[in-house]
Amino acid sequence: MEQKLRQEAKALLEQGKVDWIIGFAPGSLKFTTTPLITQDKDDAEQLVINPFITNNLANFLTEIKGRVGIVAKGCESRSIVSLIQDNKVARENLVILAVPCPGIIDLAKIERLVGKDRDELDDITRDGDRVSVKVDGKKKEFPIAQVLFDHCLACELPTPQEYDIILGEPRLPAPELKVSGQSIASLKEMTPAERWASWENELSRCIRCYACRNVCPACFCQRCFVEETEPQWTLPMPHWQDNLIFQIIRNIHVAGRCTDCGECERVCPVNIPLRSLTREMYDIVGELFQFKSGMDKDALPLMVHYEQEEAEDFFR
Amino acid sequence: MKQESEWEPKLLGFLCRWCSYAGADLAGTSRKKYPANIRIIKVPCSGRVDSLFILKALRLGFDGVLVSGCHPGDCHYQTGNYRARRRIAITKRFLEYLGVEPQRLQASWVSASEGGKFSEVVTDVTQGLKEVGPNQLFERKKNGAKAKAGSKGTA
Ligand code: SF4
Ligand code: SF4
Ligand code: SF4
Repeated sequence: MEQKLRQEAKALLEQGKVDWIIGFAPGSLKFTTTPLITQDKDDAEQLVINPFITNNLANFLTEIKGRVGIVAKGCESRSIVSLIQDNKVARENLVILAVPCPGIIDLAKIERLVGKDRDELDDITRDGDRVSVKVDGKKKEFPIAQVLFDHCLACELPTPQEYDIILGEPRLPAPELKVSGQSIASLKEMTPAERWASWENELSRCIRCYACRNVCPACFCQRCFVEETEPQWTLPMPHWQDNLIFQIIRNIHVAGRCTDCGECERVCPVNIPLRSLTREMYDIVGELFQFKSGMDKDALPLMVHYEQEEAEDFFR
Repeated sequence: MKQESEWEPKLLGFLCRWCSYAGADLAGTSRKKYPANIRIIKVPCSGRVDSLFILKALRLGFDGVLVSGCHPGDCHYQTGNYRARRRIAITKRFLEYLGVEPQRLQASWVSASEGGKFSEVVTDVTQGLKEVGPNQLFERKKNGAKAKAGSKGTA
């Protein structure tokens, strides 16, 4: 897969079919990858596809001018389609290099399982449905469902639908892996007051770094509402009240655009369970309007379209 | 106890100027009674109501928000109320998921000729708010403690 990607990317740049390639290169820390955005055909040799390609590369599309060849896992491809729906990028300017995605490994889960920091691990390898971790010369094996990101366990589209070049055999969603809704389910068992208190508690840790927003392909505004001063919708100080309002509004803004790629939760430096917000909104939109983000590039965006009769039950 | 029985909910109403605001006017001119708990902001269309307005109202301490516009099919701008409906629907469902009582965000379709309906809606919504009590969602509970601990921690 990796070799094919390098060849294709190099050829695309050489033949002038694209101006840019966006993909993944090895990161500076162990087991990590970093986005690679390049115009240089020789950089194609650095491209990798491995179980650690976490970022949602669609995030960079709105910042780049010209034709782009972009590596896309299932969730990324949906974010790309969503951007096309919003007229943020033009399909004809893209060459989508599809990666049939077997799921991405959550290093934080591995750290918890083996009780070691990622720097102390010697190797992590995946073989089908098992992952083995080499640490202190010993090998530990885990079933894949224990180490993939939660959003990967709920993935509805591992293989992009919309692509130009596919790098491997298409994969189907693995339904037996759907174990990712536990935190939302346990929140729903609480009373409303307990739930609110729990969000108060979580959001009181937020430091307003805006990493969650900046990493999100659906948050593509030139100027975010939190930076507005006339009127000032939220205070810039990280009070839990304003932090929570920031997240509520952010979720409303990305409703119908969020593809459950899980990036916001992964990057939050204070481990706020942001996916318990985004996934719930994803499900609300699905339930009320049978809308799934980024599945159909010709469909109108959620908030542009409407049906004559829908969501009437709470209107007096 | 005395204070509690005197407590009256504050309701913020966003009424579209073509239908619901005119409906409220009609309620007034035809001397229909409705609770004085509602403060009204006239908006050009229910589609103008941003979820930010709703959150800001709750953050400022309003006990509830009512958004009201023309019936589906009757929007002066053809589609504004359909868009409002989608937006309010997800806002309401999401707020309820977070733990906001359903009574605090209410919506209605009231036409210019429905003065009677307007007074009923405001009466019912106010009653609902009396049942759930004052909005204490954004009151500082934890934050005071956290600010103290934080200033110690960073000193
Ligand atoms: S990434 Fe986390 S800490 Fe940073 S703004 Fe978002 S929620 Fe707050
Ligand atoms: S939170 Fe809203 S306003 Fe801010 S960048 Fe995201 S979509 Fe735009
Ligand atoms: S809100 Fe989070 S999960 Fe949704 S698209 Fe943005 S980064 Fe991905």
